[in-house]
Amino acid sequence: MKLLHSISVAALALSSAVNAASSWTFDEATLQVTGKGAEAAKQKITAGSPVSSSSPIVLPASSTLKVILTAQEGKTGKKPHQAFLTLQEVDSGLEESFAFSVKDNGKGKVDVSSKDLPFQFLTSSKPLKASITIASFGSSTPYNGHAFNLKIENDSSSPPAVPSAPERYTNKPEIHHIFRSDPKSPPTIISLVFTLAVIVTLPGLIGAWLLLGGNFDHLGKAFGASPIAHGLFLGSIVAMEGVFFLYYSSWNLFQTLPAAAIVGTVAYVSGSKALTEVQDRRLAGER
Amino acid sequence: MRLPLLGLLLGLLSFVSALSASGSKLLVVIEDEADKGKYSQFWTDLENRGFQLTYRSPKDASLSLFLHGEPAYSHLLLLPVRAKGLGPALTPNLLVDFVNGGSNVLLALSGEQSVPSAINSLLLELDINLPADRTSLVVDHFNFDSKSAAEKHDVILLPSPEFKKGVKNYFSVDGLIAFPRAVGQVLGNASPLLSSVVKAPSTAYVYNPKEEGESVEDPFATGSQINIVSAFQARNSARFTVLGSAEALEDKWFSASVQLPVPGSKAEKSSNKAFAQKLSAWTFMELGVLKVGQIQHYLNEGSQKGISNTSEVASIDVNPEIYRIKNDVHYSIELSEWEIDHWAPFSPPQGDSLQLEFSMLSPFHRLNLQPKAQTANSTIYTSEFKLPDQHGIFNFFVEYRRPFFTNVEEKRTVTVRHFAHDEWPRSYVISGAWPWISGIWVTVGGWIVFVALWLYSKPAEPKVKTR
Amino acid sequence: MAVDTAVPGADFFFKGESGRNTRGLLRLLILVTIAAAAIAARLFSVIRFESIIHEFDPWFNFRATKYLVNHGFYKFWDWFDDRTWHPLGRVTGGTLYPGLMVTSGVIYHLLRFLTLPVDIRNICVLLAPAFSGLTAWASYLLTSEMSDSPSAGLLAAVFMGITPGYISRSVAGSYDNEAIAIFLLVFTFFLWIKAVKQGSIMWGALCALFYGYMVSAWGGYVFITNLLPLHAFVLICMGRFSARLYVAFTTWYALGTLASMQIPFVGFLPIRNSDHMSALGVFGLMQLVGFAEYIRHQLPSKQFQTLLRAMVLVVFGLAFGGLVLLTVSGVVAPWSGRFYSLWDTGYAKIHIPIIASVSEHQPTAWPAFFFDLNMLIWLFPAGVYMCFRNLKDEQVFIVIYAVLASYFAGVMVRLMLTLTPIVCVAAAMALSQILDQFLVASQPSEPTESTKANGNANGNADIKDKLAAAIPESLRSTKAPLVGIYSYLSKSVITGAVTAYLLLFVLHCTWVTSNAYSSPSVVLASRLPDGSQHIIDDYREAYYWLRQNTKEDAKVMSWWDYGYQIGGMADRPTLVDNNTWNNTHIATVGKAMSSREEVSYPIMRQHEVDYVLVVFGGLLGYSGDDINKFLWMVRIAEGIWPDEVKERDFFTARGEYRVDDEATPTMRNSLMYKMSYYNYNSLFPAGQATDRVRGSKLPAQGPELSTLEEAFTSENWIIRIYKVKDLDNLGRSHQEAVGFEKGNKRKKAGKRRGPRTLRVD
Repeated sequence: MKLLHSISVAALALSSAVNAASSWTFDEATLQVTGKGAEAAKQKITAGSPVSSSSPIVLPASSTLKVILTAQEGKTGKKPHQAFLTLQEVDSGLEESFAFSVKDNGKGKVDVSSKDLPFQFLTSSKPLKASITIASFGSSTPYNGHAFNLKIENDSSSPPAVPSAPERYTNKPEIHHIFRSDPKSPPTIISLVFTLAVIVTLPGLIGAWLLLGGNFDHLGKAFGASPIAHGLFLGSIVAMEGVFFLYYSSWNLFQTLPAAAIVGTVAYVSGSKALTEVQDRRLAGER
Repeated sequence: MRLPLLGLLLGLLSFVSALSASGSKLLVVIEDEADKGKYSQFWTDLENRGFQLTYRSPKDASLSLFLHGEPAYSHLLLLPVRAKGLGPALTPNLLVDFVNGGSNVLLALSGEQSVPSAINSLLLELDINLPADRTSLVVDHFNFDSKSAAEKHDVILLPSPEFKKGVKNYFSVDGLIAFPRAVGQVLGNASPLLSSVVKAPSTAYVYNPKEEGESVEDPFATGSQINIVSAFQARNSARFTVLGSAEALEDKWFSASVQLPVPGSKAEKSSNKAFAQKLSAWTFMELGVLKVGQIQHYLNEGSQKGISNTSEVASIDVNPEIYRIKNDVHYSIELSEWEIDHWAPFSPPQGDSLQLEFSMLSPFHRLNLQPKAQTANSTIYTSEFKLPDQHGIFNFFVEYRRPFFTNVEEKRTVTVRHFAHDEWPRSYVISGAWPWISGIWVTVGGWIVFVALWLYSKPAEPKVKTR
Repeated sequence: MAVDTAVPGADFFFKGESGRNTRGLLRLLILVTIAAAAIAARLFSVIRFESIIHEFDPWFNFRATKYLVNHGFYKFWDWFDDRTWHPLGRVTGGTLYPGLMVTSGVIYHLLRFLTLPVDIRNICVLLAPAFSGLTAWASYLLTSEMSDSPSAGLLAAVFMGITPGYISRSVAGSYDNEAIAIFLLVFTFFLWIKAVKQGSIMWGALCALFYGYMVSAWGGYVFITNLLPLHAFVLICMGRFSARLYVAFTTWYALGTLASMQIPFVGFLPIRNSDHMSALGVFGLMQLVGFAEYIRHQLPSKQFQTLLRAMVLVVFGLAFGGLVLLTVSGVVAPWSGRFYSLWDTGYAKIHIPIIASVSEHQPTAWPAFFFDLNMLIWLFPAGVYMCFRNLKDEQVFIVIYAVLASYFAGVMVRLMLTLTPIVCVAAAMALSQILDQFLVASQPSEPTESTKANGNANGNADIKDKLAAAIPESLRSTKAPLVGIYSYLSKSVITGAVTAYLLLFVLHCTWVTSNAYSSPSVVLASRLPDGSQHIIDDYREAYYWLRQNTKEDAKVMSWWDYGYQIGGMADRPTLVDNNTWNNTHIATVGKAMSSREEVSYPIMRQHEVDYVLVVFGGLLGYSGDDINKFLWMVRIAEGIWPDEVKERDFFTARGEYRVDDEATPTMRNSLMYKMSYYNYNSLFPAGQATDRVRGSKLPAQGPELSTLEEAFTSENWIIRIYKVKDLDNLGRSHQEAVGFEKGNKRKKAGKRRGPRTLRVD
């Protein structure tokens, strides 16, 4: 908006320059870039018609732009109160003015070297817009016109230092947390195959035992000899597995431990009786 | 963070008498009793808006900004003084303490009188620079009032201030505002607390009429880098406004007829009165004051899923201190904005948004809060999201700091714990665990069969001869 | 064995069945007395000071125990501690060894059940002494397995009870894992020996059970995990593989590993960590050897046996290669840093400064051995030597244990603790041998045959026989010895000497306990010129100040040493503590302490620090202060940010670490230096400020702080607490704000040089 505003003001100023007799303007204006590796060609600037914007003036690093002009009020050279060369960075609208040092006869010059420029100008992607303002008090019409475009070339070996952007209160980009991916199970079919393979071992084992002559023929004999001990012992072993199952499915540690202690004690006491019976059988040569 | 809240509370208490959100006592420091009359319209306006004005001269021995160590006034209006200093009651340190105490200051400068050094060093603390020679003016040969300053060009006419996208404009007026003999301020680039309200046009510049009468060779500042009105809002939301032209508040300019020096422009009435009203309203906390109402966060899963749409919210555990990682949560915050004389629902300006951060050391989530509901004087903003998979002590953090709004900084600390031992998926749910589970049960079965075999197996008939 | 007595009636008590009972009763009485002595010796600190938790780690254990007692076991199990390691928090339930707390909790609930409402603090304070009594008993059992002499066990018990090497970690108030772990260590070894000797599944299972308990109690369980397999391995190498060994080891390994995996902190380490691989390897080897033995038994062919042996070796080699491969590929975790530091004493200092910074991880100075073990240290080799004379499976264990533990104790002061039990056992064996020799040995009767005919099965008698046989008949003196070992003179001289040594030992132990190991370190004691005791209680003064004057959730930043104490006594969240699980977080604190204020302040803001606590001993001459620990902070920070913190910058050009006028600018600008010496000048006449620890005169101009303000300084300036300022209200830097407060005019930008800075909206 600022930009628009100043342009409109400039346009108004231009239009007024045509018909008002006592208006500010300049003449005999030249610009020159001096410094290492820069062509020292002078270029003429005329009030009201900017140097073609398609070919901006190039200001290489560590060189100086020199603009000379003669300020005039009406047709006579005169010293204005304000004689500025204003550079504007087009994207951000930032401006910086450099005052001409003007003699009483209106002859003025200004030197702008790249080291005088703010970093935003040095890093600008587009050429800077340079305009000349000549104005003073009283009723004379001021002059403000686009003069030329200026392209800043930086020394590629030492790019300008860009300070970190100052903090401004505004909204910030959104952030969405990226979650770690969940652990993955292998394909169900593989798990199933292995599960099956594991389960098959149980019948396999029992089959192998039976094949090798395992049997439960002494069941009656054992229970006949010490029914309580054997019943309790086998029962407590199964019960212990039951306790484990309950721990797995629903119990907490403090429900499990007493139960396991009771079952364990039963197993220990009855087991010693039952195993004595087994030993008796072994000693009798029946095992 | 507490101070503005306290201020808001006080503001509420004094609701009946004052319309500012932070109290009604306004101290006007004016050097000459005789000058008081120059601003009579402004005073009337302020009094009509509910402020209790106290006029004091800086030389007044009884002048003190503090009472029992607390700021004695909610607001301070400093008009330009001719003396070189401001006296012992208004030293920079005291003024800084005054602002730190949560009070607002409207400082009016004038290019006619040199700026006291106390003001200068005070403004330097805020990173506002004034011209070194202290009597410089802003002048613009393109935008001046051709009626009153046809020769000197030192009455600048500017249209209503405009701001970039996402910044609320509290200062817009119709027509032109006149700034006679303004002192230009240059703002430092670092501070986010500063913002310019009225900038000079790009052809303006600062000059010292005494030394640079003929021409300027090295102006203090040029173009839009010059601020005619700038605003500073401290971290405690206390406001400090610098108005470059005290004259703009005078009755003379409230009803002046002004005209741009451009052919074809018409003379019109200046909008100074409206602007002075808006500027003082903002500075004295009648505008842009935000209030946080209820903040709620709660679990949004299991039986509480989607509960925010129902009326059962009251019955659940709201604002728990501990969550678990990957919990779904609901967060809501209620915000109101003070509009001259009442609390209104707040909505951020176009292009801006209220954001919630869920952060530990750095934000894990930063989400735009969505307005969900509106009450008579507040808007409820909500967001629903899944907590990150990182345990720790996190903050629900809403930090809404924007130019011209009082600061909102609401931190709710919660603990995000890890999965407890019984919150993981059970092993039978995981297909990869099936072989292992079946292995366990095969072992159990094998063991029982083995025990039985061991106990009850009858030896095979001695088919095999022993060795 | 019993000494002949002239009193006929005494025969009833000392001979036969009732004699055995009497001896048993006597032994019990002696053991109970020893336990009582062990407990009593550890109570100095309670009597001198009060019933208070000591040092650093115990404060955490105490806090955890309180949590367990208040919230129950499952809450404790899933405990997420949001008051430490702010803001990361700590999964405390899953990263601690719960054995100690659970033990105290069980005792607490048991006493409640018995209607004895004892404060949990008193249980915690007295747990270590109570368990030291049990340790004495366990070492009695262990030694009794090693030696036939009944006195060996009792001697071992009494040594274990009062030796300073163990007391150092088990005085009342020293509520640390070691308090119960040493008992478990010794008892597990006893059960292992029992299992190996008997080849019993029951003893093996019991051993595994106590091993599991040990795992739940102390990280030092790795010592058992490696020592038992090593014992088994050596036995196999010695060709002593037997079914007993097989049963004992496989039972222990299978059950013990399962038990250890139940501790969340250990989890799958036993199968994923190199530290545990030796046990797994020996387990595999055991199966191989067992299988080979079985085959060999069945097939006695010579060639086949060679083949089999080769096969065993090849399989073992392959398994070992596989393990190396797995380690390299990362499936099995490589050796932990702590483990490396056991082999290379310089390793920790370079790679893990955080471990090296702990004083108890330093190599042991040789006087420490005499200080902690006194006469046992020279009896110890004799005892080990004695094991060689009668080298059964269990003696092999003693030898291996002795060798390993000696090495480790030399590497790390802290591991003196694992050496102590074996020293006690070996020394007791040696001393009992001497005592038995001289107290019991009666003059041999004339002919050798008759002695044999007596059928004395006593081992000592056998030796005597051999001795007698070895001594040439021609030596006159042996026939009617006046000065030989059988004479009362030599007996009394030796007995007297041993008694004197024992008494001196008791004296030494009491003195060491009383003077060196009974200070709570939370409370310091000093002597006034008139000899009376002066208590310096700055720590508690400061912690209670924090507790009473700060917000409930005010975060306190301090060096990690004080984390547990702040958590325990001040009950305030801390950034880092003695559980050094996150090196980066500690390094962050180190960086904040060792950087300039402008660098530290954003770090403190980011971590929401409210207060900073430093320990400063300069006024009192208390050398354990933060300035002396400062270089460790620098080193640890340098490990993470080598570009921002450099140790070199803290030394003068001549390589000196100074705090006076010649201190480097980095040193003088560091936050730690500033906090330590802030306002210190004001205590002294101008220019006279002296640091009594470093013995140097301080710069005339004291340091200035801008981001912190002094909140509290304890009576003797040992603890200084600073409050972190909020950001400046006007957005200035703190330096500028402080300068403004002091009335320094801000320099106005003078004549412009270079480009303007343009304000961007």
